Amino acid sequence: MQTLALWLVVGVALAFDFVNGFHDAANSIATVVSTRVLSPRFAVAWAAFFNFVAFLVFGTHVADTIANDVVQQNVISIGLIFAALVGAITWSLITFFLGLPTSSSHALIGGMAGAAVAKAGFGVLVWEGLRTIAVFIVVAPLAGLAASFILMIVVMWSVHRSEKVEPLNRGFRRMQLVSAGAYSLGHGANDAQKTMGVILALLIATGEVSKGSDVPLWVVLSAHTAIALGTLTGGWRIVKTMGSKLTRLKPVSGVCAESAAAGMLFFTSAYGVPVSTTHTITGGIVGVGASQRLAAVRWGVARRVVWAWAFTIPGAAIMAAAAYGIVSVFS
Amino acid sequence: MMDRRALFFLGSAALCLVLVPVTPADLRWFTLALAVVYVVLAIGSALDNWSRSREGRSDH
Repeated sequence: MQTLALWLVVGVALAFDFVNGFHDAANSIATVVSTRVLSPRFAVAWAAFFNFVAFLVFGTHVADTIANDVVQQNVISIGLIFAALVGAITWSLITFFLGLPTSSSHALIGGMAGAAVAKAGFGVLVWEGLRTIAVFIVVAPLAGLAASFILMIVVMWSVHRSEKVEPLNRGFRRMQLVSAGAYSLGHGANDAQKTMGVILALLIATGEVSKGSDVPLWVVLSAHTAIALGTLTGGWRIVKTMGSKLTRLKPVSGVCAESAAAGMLFFTSAYGVPVSTTHTITGGIVGVGASQRLAAVRWGVARRVVWAWAFTIPGAAIMAAAAYGIVSVFS
Repeated sequence: MMDRRALFFLGSAALCLVLVPVTPADLRWFTLALAVVYVVLAIGSALDNWSRSREGRSDH
């Protein structure tokens, strides 16, 4: 019975990862599609490929953080992880319908914390790990913003005397392939590892793997496959839906925003800090907008991101605590 | 009057500085460096705004 429950919850975690890829695909391919560098079909395949190969480039530091530095290992159980995932999914759905640009990563962390508190109180939270995550909720978008602003200024200074505008535009259109690929690599590395972390915590709790062991290869491969399949499935639909709504970024802005966000995701993945990929690219886009003039930035969107910063972790935590209450009745 | 972009960068620098003490020790350098970058950007933005307004006045 326990084995069945374990695999069921692993399935739910992979479904969460799939939805993450489905939802976030547009972040990495919006610019290459809107500037017609690639067709939506090829752009989605491009992003999915880099989502998948991320495991070859980055370690599993983010997964270790999720598994060990959010809640104490001794309270983790199948029911707790299930409640955490239900809380994160419920919060993501509510904010999706409210139109809030929420982060599924923060929802997952909030869900784990909320379910653990419902089970054993605040004493089981690993405050050091949660503090790092909380600091980088703010720092990651700010770093993306500063990096993309500086990149834009450097590029504008370098090319403003050039009279060969057309070759320059062609060059930046091609460079978008590299920057979109790099961003997808960072997205795959940071987001797929969150699911790996949840599954690792579950496997340790049920005694399937010992504490302190590496993430099993099948977990790594299945998490990357799930996020890549989500990108492949959802990205295509989302790009088609977004069609006319896409922000008309110029190739040069797209390259700067994506490169800045990719750099931030590489850095945080190397240090094992789980961050919101959506908020990081939002920071990058605000940065390129601010390099033109402050009024070019859609501050309404930026304000909504700040609201999402503030409410996602407590919101998902409350949902997960309620879910744990229901789960504990049946367990 | 100071331009809004410089004020935004100064606010971001202040936010990063507030976060420095609560950032874990191994990553504190990053938050601090980000605060310094934002201060530099604020100064650059204010100087850019000042030179543009001077150009505007001299045109008249």
